[in-house]
Amino acid sequence: MTVYESDLPGVGKKFEVDLNDGSRLVIVIHNTGKRELYRRQSDDADSEKLFELSDKLARQVGTIMEGAYFQPIRTDTIETVLDENSLIEWVKLTADSPLAGQTLADAQVRQRTGASVIAIRRGDETLTNPGGETELRPEDTLIVLGTREECQEFTELVGDSA
Amino acid sequence: MAEVSLLEFGAALAAIAAAGAVASRVGLSVIPLYVVGGVLVGPSVLGSVDLPPFSAVPHVSAAAIDYITLLAEIGIVLLLFFLGLEFSLDRLLENRRKLTAVGLLDVGVNFPVGVAIGLVLGWSVLEALLLGGIVYISSSAVITKSLIDLGWIADAESEPILGTLVFEDLFIAVYLAVVSSLVLGGGELNETLRDVAVAVGFLLVLVAAAHYGSGWLGRVLDVGSNEAFVLRTLGITVPVAGAALALGVSEAVAAFFVGMGFSDTDHVERLERLLSPVRDVFAALFFFWIGLNTDPRLVAATAGLLAAAVVLTTPTKLVSGFLSGRLYGLEDRRALRVGTSMVTRGEFSLIIATTAAAGTTRVMTEVIPAFAVGYVLVMSILGTVIMQYTGALEGLVLRDRSETAG
Repeated sequence: MTVYESDLPGVGKKFEVDLNDGSRLVIVIHNTGKRELYRRQSDDADSEKLFELSDKLARQVGTIMEGAYFQPIRTDTIETVLDENSLIEWVKLTADSPLAGQTLADAQVRQRTGASVIAIRRGDETLTNPGGETELRPEDTLIVLGTREECQEFTELVGDSA
Repeated sequence: MAEVSLLEFGAALAAIAAAGAVASRVGLSVIPLYVVGGVLVGPSVLGSVDLPPFSAVPHVSAAAIDYITLLAEIGIVLLLFFLGLEFSLDRLLENRRKLTAVGLLDVGVNFPVGVAIGLVLGWSVLEALLLGGIVYISSSAVITKSLIDLGWIADAESEPILGTLVFEDLFIAVYLAVVSSLVLGGGELNETLRDVAVAVGFLLVLVAAAHYGSGWLGRVLDVGSNEAFVLRTLGITVPVAGAALALGVSEAVAAFFVGMGFSDTDHVERLERLLSPVRDVFAALFFFWIGLNTDPRLVAATAGLLAAAVVLTTPTKLVSGFLSGRLYGLEDRRALRVGTSMVTRGEFSLIIATTAAAGTTRVMTEVIPAFAVGYVLVMSILGTVIMQYTGALEGLVLRDRSETAG
């Protein structure tokens, strides 16, 4: 990512960031602390002002954008920490995962990783305490309980096609 | 000095506030309206009406103007202090090729036009040089505000516009130092040379002090209390400017270099935040004071000169600005915006006129100040309006261009 920075004598500073759709975000920081945000559709277009923020508000919005208030989840794995070393992890099976198509017993999850599969999310339903005969299908989300290392091993087992 | 009542000064402040309210209502820059407000409540208009109910309205008397003069001087000092504060030699050197090109183009096209008008009128070289400065220097304050209002600040055209203004700021510092010593010097060649030498010597000392003293300035401003911070800044800047004036050196230029000294400290942002309102109040008093000292009849008497200057110096700024934009590699449409932006003249033209008023000839004490007021009123309003209607102008000028090109 390139950030273009330039001085605006008597006004403040200007930062420009390329957005993925080819337009450019222009942030003008005034010496007074005020931030103005503009968006320029293309090089030829005039910047359109989106909004302005006071110094204080800009900092608060900034921390939200940075993720200091709230981290968005990644879709393939989610985890909930139970204590210092135990956690519950949500892991999605892809079609080319080596576990897809096997039963839980064949997969030998606990023997190989130490982690236990405590539930499976399949579509809208949740299979709790799945037995050894349960077949694992692509698109299933497995909910596993274990130590951090065990969960780590499990994620590798599911993702590792080798 | 006669007694001046608090009521009288209060009326002056109320008039300034009212002028500011009108300005924001009609969407114009505050500068012309402060000046007009000063003219209206000053001795030449409201003060000269002897009929009730007007005679009951407290107008600003000649005695009050003496007091306001001092406050107006602080306005000049703070305007130039801020120029120095925001002036960065590093920035100038970093882009020196482009900045020097557009800066020299700007001064090379616009300054000689004013000088030529003066010489055609049979003025002395000094008087013509003063006129050259007045029509050359664009208004940083009004232009910067318009750039923000129109949103051009976010686009490529802001770069040559602000760059040219930076060059003008440096030029005006040197120019004021020279012309003010020439104006105050009288006329004898020996005396003038001595005065210029004193001015240059004092400014060199200031530049050195600004360079080597910024560490000390930084420590002085290292206080938590905003009150102490503002007072210390004013307590350094105003006495230095006053000492300069006592030595016959431009107080404005001294303030510029003090500002440069502060610009090397870590306190620039806090200075800008806390001192901007102080500057704006005193600058408003300065523009108002200009109006108080203006007799509309004298302005009317310069109408011919005024018309010639407006007709000649509007296109020159359009052309020099347009070419500056091209030098920065902008397309025609954006380059035209650079041209329309630079048309506005304002605070610095009035500061030069104030410098001229300290002179001895009638042209310097009467004609130039009256002309400058009329000129700034026209150009600040015209400039703002032209900027707003650049789109329409674009269709007109650039279509013709492409037709002749094709």
